[in-house]
Formats: sequence, structure tokens, C-alpha cells
Amino acid sequence: MPRPISRRATLAGLGLAAASGGCLGRTENIAGRDPHSQLTLEINTTPADDDPSGIRIARQLEEYLTAVGVDVRLNTLGRTDLWRKVLINQNFDLYVGQFVETEPFDADALYGVSHSKFIAESGWQNPHGLTEIAVDDALDRQRRVSGDERTDAVGTLQETLCELQPFSVVAFPDALTAVRENRFEGWTEDRQPLSVSGLLELDAVADGSGGDDSGTGGSTDGNATIEDAADEADADGGTLRLVTTDDRITENWNPIAVEYRKYGTFTGLLYDPLVRDDGESVVPWLAAGWKRVDDDAVEVSLRDARWHDGEPVTATDVAFTYRFLRDTSLGSVETPVPTPRFRGRSALADDEQVLDDATVRLTVPDVNETVVARALQVPILPKHVWSERTEAATIAGFEFDFETTEAVISNNPDPVGSGPLRFVEAEAGESVVFERNPDHFLVHPASDAGPADSDETTGPQAGVPSRYHGKPAFDRLRLEVLPSDISAVESVSEGRADATVSNLGPASVPLIGRSADARLVSGRSAAFYHVGYNVRRSPLSNPRFRSVIARLIDKSALVDDAFGGYARPAASPLAASPNAVPDSVAWNGDTDPIHPFFDDEGSLDVEAAKATLRDIGYRFDDEGRLLSRGQ
Amino acid sequence: MTPFLSVLTSVVAWVAAMSAVASAVVIGPARLRAAWGGLRERIWDVRQAAAVLGVVLIASAVGRLWLLDISRLFGLQATAIIYGLEGGFVAWVQATFVTPELTAYFSRVYVYGYAFLLLFPVVAYLALPRTTALRRLLVAYALNYGIGLVVYTLVFAHGPRNVMPEMVTPLLFANHPDVMSLTSEVNVNSNVFPSLHTSLSVTVGTFAVLTREEYPRWTPVGVWLALSVVIATMYLGIHWLTDVVAGFALAFGSVFLAHRFVDSRSDAAEPSDDADEAPPGSEARPDD
Repeated sequence: MPRPISRRATLAGLGLAAASGGCLGRTENIAGRDPHSQLTLEINTTPADDDPSGIRIARQLEEYLTAVGVDVRLNTLGRTDLWRKVLINQNFDLYVGQFVETEPFDADALYGVSHSKFIAESGWQNPHGLTEIAVDDALDRQRRVSGDERTDAVGTLQETLCELQPFSVVAFPDALTAVRENRFEGWTEDRQPLSVSGLLELDAVADGSGGDDSGTGGSTDGNATIEDAADEADADGGTLRLVTTDDRITENWNPIAVEYRKYGTFTGLLYDPLVRDDGESVVPWLAAGWKRVDDDAVEVSLRDARWHDGEPVTATDVAFTYRFLRDTSLGSVETPVPTPRFRGRSALADDEQVLDDATVRLTVPDVNETVVARALQVPILPKHVWSERTEAATIAGFEFDFETTEAVISNNPDPVGSGPLRFVEAEAGESVVFERNPDHFLVHPASDAGPADSDETTGPQAGVPSRYHGKPAFDRLRLEVLPSDISAVESVSEGRADATVSNLGPASVPLIGRSADARLVSGRSAAFYHVGYNVRRSPLSNPRFRSVIARLIDKSALVDDAFGGYARPAASPLAASPNAVPDSVAWNGDTDPIHPFFDDEGSLDVEAAKATLRDIGYRFDDEGRLLSRGQ
Repeated sequence: MTPFLSVLTSVVAWVAAMSAVASAVVIGPARLRAAWGGLRERIWDVRQAAAVLGVVLIASAVGRLWLLDISRLFGLQATAIIYGLEGGFVAWVQATFVTPELTAYFSRVYVYGYAFLLLFPVVAYLALPRTTALRRLLVAYALNYGIGLVVYTLVFAHGPRNVMPEMVTPLLFANHPDVMSLTSEVNVNSNVFPSLHTSLSVTVGTFAVLTREEYPRWTPVGVWLALSVVIATMYLGIHWLTDVVAGFALAFGSVFLAHRFVDSRSDAAEPSDDADEAPPGSEARPDD
């Protein structure tokens, strides 16, 4: 900070002058004090090309923080750099970003995000550095109890979090995507269309009738385009062509590399979890079934499955995965290096025991069924691949004190999973190609021609809802990287792609309407936008100060400006989860129930905001700058 | 045809057409015919300068992505600094001046005009009997690219359209999304400081002033186009004012260094050619 230094230098000069006058003692008493200086806060987010909405939220916050006398630095970083800074290095003041889960999630998702036991770890576990006993208690309680008691506990949890504001929920975006439906149909409208389950539920449009089928739109003027599309369809076979602005999946396929994953959709298709929650039901996936066998143990039986390299998936792999996620070094490094993703879930298993090739017993404390099911939703990793990545990470053979392992920093080239898709090829920054895994249990055996329901309980797909039978509907999935949401939409409307994956901003949505062949599909996303605070740093460590920042966010206005209306403002992180939000924190009309915006007919009431800051003990200099000390 | 190829084709076609017209008007048929003689010697004469430029361009093409990684990891995070310095200047430019006609004009200038602006002087100076101007131009281009690449690596910053999307419309990409496929091939959205569009255009504009004796008709055209490109970078929301100022500095620095490195060599290389050709060149002026 140059200001205090220069001021001290001036004082030093004065001091010399004063010393000759013989009043050193008094001058020392003044010069020895650290002067106050203006509070500086840095807001980190991604540029508009990467995410059209986040930067708009950051800009509004920047404007209003500046208005109340804060010196704001608005910093834009690439996606990987942003999350490395926030989640791994925890070297930030504020950030604007999205939550990692896109399907409506259970309250237990907040356990990893906010429990103080993860304070020393890096990753999505407690990135804000919150250490609040009330939050810990509520998190622990919602795990233990069930039924109405749990509803209560979850309500208390939300009230506590809303009051303490380790992060301010801004809005739940609609998951928007531009699609063409002449090759694939069944884009889900009620939730994220491009989630793991959304992609698996797609159906191929019958080849021969391609022309008839696309007649739903303008069939008269569409002749030429339909022929074009048909030509391309022949060339591409059953390839689902997606476009995105996010190039991370073209260079890194590591399911636990936190800075490279958004929702983990594509790694979720490469790596099967034991159980999948698709929003409608909890589906036994790699697990054929599971049951609680004791107060502190859950027994999981596995389906017959193989890794993409042909090795069988065994109980040893499952036991390995849970041990590995707890400590990716498996004890080879002095302090454990836990996984930066899935930590809240995987930490639930304390111990694991292989009973036979297809059965594993996980030691899970006495928690409710919902929480057990969540603990089973981590990607199962092949032991024969990952057990060789447990040593401390090195650069060119040299070991630095990064406190991490090869497993965490590996790009995981040629990923070997057991999921319905397997890796084919990629060109970094350009494209990636996956193909359907013909050995996956979702693929029907040839003999099974009749309706699937007959062997629901016994066959290889026992317990799997029929909407997943025979899926995925595409032979290949090709993901191409484009420079912006606008060019992504353009690509779909011109027939070069079937759907957009990455977020669409307010400027690109109208383009979809202008295209004859593209359609806007809007689903519900649980990946709420939020402003995250680094609670480790003063004055963000002060919940009263955070609550003032929360009141500087005009959520209703942002829904219109940053999302073009395609979002819902919210106070609670569980606002997209069905029946989870108590009235006390439910969004009412157009204001936040706990931290209402300092509203002065649509703009910020600067005086009210400053008065509140004064009330809670902050001071301003004569130029209206918010003063701070000890930053 | 992919959008990239179709844009590229149209740029090549437009630049070729504009260069043909400019050659006829600026250089003139008489001098073009005269220029044919000794062309091979002059090309041979500029081989060193051309090689320097070639090396810089190849290094830039090959090392760009690698240098970008370096820049992301170790570069100065300058977006906040630049934005703190000039605030909403570019947003003000857009809010004050944007009209559909100007947007169409500046979009075309930014893509087609710029490509023409860089190419035509090479042709024009090659038609001069002496290669000094051409060699200086090529060296100045190389300096622009070379220094620009180093500064790109040292400074990591995003442009105004990426930071203030609610105030700065990405006019170019919103109106010509296909152009984006071209610019994203040759540029990265975090390479904004300095503005190479500005520095190269201003370099050409400066040369247009310095060679006003040889090409009096080119001077106003070159300066007008160069300034148009400079304004276009901000009008279209691609660059900050800070980038543009740095671009000017880079341009003047490159022109100055090019003059230091390449002397006028009045008595060197092919004195006979020079001696023969120079007088007609200077006599041609009264005709104009």
C-alpha cells in the first residue's frame, strides 16, 4: 500500500524537524501509529467470453462497492486460473462463480462447502474458510436425523447460512441451450438438458424419416437446410455434435482436478458412480444394490462391469477409491492429501472392507438414507491406474513443497473409466471425441429384444429405469470449442452442431429465435451464481460486514440485466431443491428476506448503506472512503 | 465451407481488389510498369528484412499458445489496473457515438481495412526504385510483432467487452459472428495490451507521412485508415484506451528503431539501379 508508506515518510520528515524542536516524544506517539487507509477489495471472475453472466454480477457489485467508498479491483481470469486461485490457493477476497452441482441437490451438499473440519484443505471443501459452530452443528444434525426432524434441521441450516453469509446466493440461472432436433430429440425441459442424465436420455431421430421429422418447423423454406443436415448426418453417423466455450475438457479428464471441472458432466460419463441421483430417483448404477447391515456399515454389491481397458471392475477398486479420495497419497506423504472434489461425500466412509470380488463393506456412521446415497455418488476409479499416482507431485523430477500428489495434478490422459462413454481423441483447446462404450450395462444384450421391464429385477440392468436402457443414443460425442456463446449459437443455427453446452448470455439468446432450425431449450439449474467471500480475511471475516455486501447486491435487477430474465433470484442455496426452503428464507416478491438490497427506486441508496456500515463500527474519511486497518 | 475459410476467402478477395485499385491510383500505371524492371534485384535486396519478419511471425505462430500459458501463470494480472486507470472510457465511446452506419464502417475497417493497410505499403514500397522504405517497413513490422509478443506474455489482461459486457457491446462479434472464427485463430482474448492493431496501423500511417514525397496520394488515405483502425479497436469494444496509447508508443518506437537499424544506404547494393531508377521516380511527381 503506497499511501500509508508515503504518509509515514512525510511524518518521518516532520519528526526530524520536530526533534530539533525538542518534542520527539509527542511526535513519536503520533508517528508510531499505523494510519488508517482505504479498504481495498479484489473481485475475481471470468471474462464475458467464458461466462456472460458472472462478469455482469461482478460489475454491479464493483459499482456499488465503489459507491460506498471501497477501492475495488475487478480482476478477470480464465476459468482454470480463477478456480485455482479461489479453491486451491485460497488467495482471494471475493469471487463470482457458480456452484458445482447442476441437478437440484440435497442439503448435504452444503456439508463439504461449509463444515469447518475442512478448514485446512483445498478444493470445494470449505473454500470460504468458514468456522462457525452453529453451521457445523446444523450440518451434523441434518446428517443424523430424518423425516420432519431433518426438514427442521435443513431449515435451521439455511437460516444460519443466510444469516452468516459465507457466500451470497445471487440467482439460480435457467440452463439455456440452443438445440437442433433433426438428429437427436428428448432435450429435457424440466432440468439441465446437458447433464449426465440429460445426455443419456436423448433419443436419436430415426434416420429414414429425417426429412419428415424436421418438418415440425418451417418445412417449406427448410428444404435446402434439411438436405444439408442429412448430408452431414451421413458423414457424421450417429455423432452428437456439441459446442462449448469451455476448453478444459479438451486437455484434462481428471475427475478430481477441481480447477478443470465445472459440473463434471463429461467426466461423469467416463466414470460411473455406485449410485446416480437424476432428480427423479436414486438409481443403482455401478452398484446393483446396497443395504445398511449395521449401525456403522453399508454393504454394496456390484454389477458385472469392466473398465474401458478390459479389466473387471471389482470391490477392490471401490475400496481403493474411497481410501484414495480420503488421502490421494495413500499415506506416502506426511500429511494426507484429500481429494479437492467429492470431499463432503467421500469423507463419510471411514473404512472399507472387501468381502468378495463383487461386495464391499463401507464403514459409514449412523446417518440417514439420503446421506448414505450421496456418499455412494463418487466416481469409482480403477486401482490399477490410480495407485501409480499417489506419490508427491514433482516438476521434472524435483519435489517441491506443493502438498499435492500426481493424482490431483494429472491431466489423466487416455482416461480409463467404466462409464457409458469412453475417450477417443482430443486436440487441446479445439475438440474432444468420446464414443459409446459397447460393454456398458446400459447397452442391451442382443438376445433381449422384448420389453425391458420383464427382467428389471434380475438382468444386467436391474433397477435401472427404462429411460436409460440402450443408451446413449449416439455412437460418438464430439465437443468442439468456440470463442464465444454467440458463435456457439451460430454454429447450431447453421447446422454444424446439435447443441450448445456452455452458458448463453443475454446477447446470444435472441439469435436463437432468429434461426429457423435452432430452438431454445431452457431447463432448471441448481448451479446458483454466488459471490463468495474469503472469510479468513479482515474485514470479510466479520459477518456483519458480509451482510452489508450482501445488501449491495440487487438480485432482482441482476436477473434482468445479467441473465435477460432467464434466472430466479434467491436467498438460500437450496432454492432449486424441492420443498427444502423454509418460509423464513424463501424469496418473497422482489426482495431478499434476510438481506434486502439498499434500494432507492431501482438504484443503490448510498446513504443508507453507509449509515449501516457506520452502525456496525466502520468509518469513513472526509472524502467518503471506507477506512480499514490491518488488511 | 467452414466459417473460418469463408471469412478468410472474403478477406483475401477484398484485400486483393483494394490493393489493385490502390496500385492503379497511388502508384500509377507508369511507375508500375517501370517497377517491373529490377523487381527481382529489389526483392533480393530486402531478403534480410523479410527474413527477420518471417522469423518473428513463425515464432509468434509456434510459441503463441505456450507463451499464453506462461502469461496466465506468471504474467502481470493487469485487467484490474487498466480498468482502474481508465474506467468506462470505452463504454462512453460506445454510448456516445454508436450508430449502425459507423458500426458497419468500423467493422469493415477493422477486418478488411486493416489487412489492406498492412499489405498495400509492402506493394507500394516494393515499386519504389530504392528499397530503403520497404526494408524499414518490414523491420518495423517485425519489431511491432516481436515486442508485442513479449509484452503480451508479461501482461495478462482482458479487453473492455469482456469486462463491461453490459456497457460495451462486442459490436464486431455480435454483427459478424463469422469474423470471430478468424480473429480467434490469430488472436487470444487475453492479449489486449498493447493493441497490435493500433501499433501496426500507426506504423503504416507514420510511414505514409514519411514517404509523402514518393506517394503523396497514399499519405491521406493511409493516415485516415490507420486512425480509423485505431478508433475501431475501441469503438468495437475490443481494446482499452490504455492498449491504444501503448500501441502508439510501440508504433513510434518501432519506426524509430527501424530507421536506426536500416540506414538509407544511398551508396550501397545496386548503385547503378538506384541511380537509373531514382530520377524517373522523383520526376514522376509533377505528373500527379
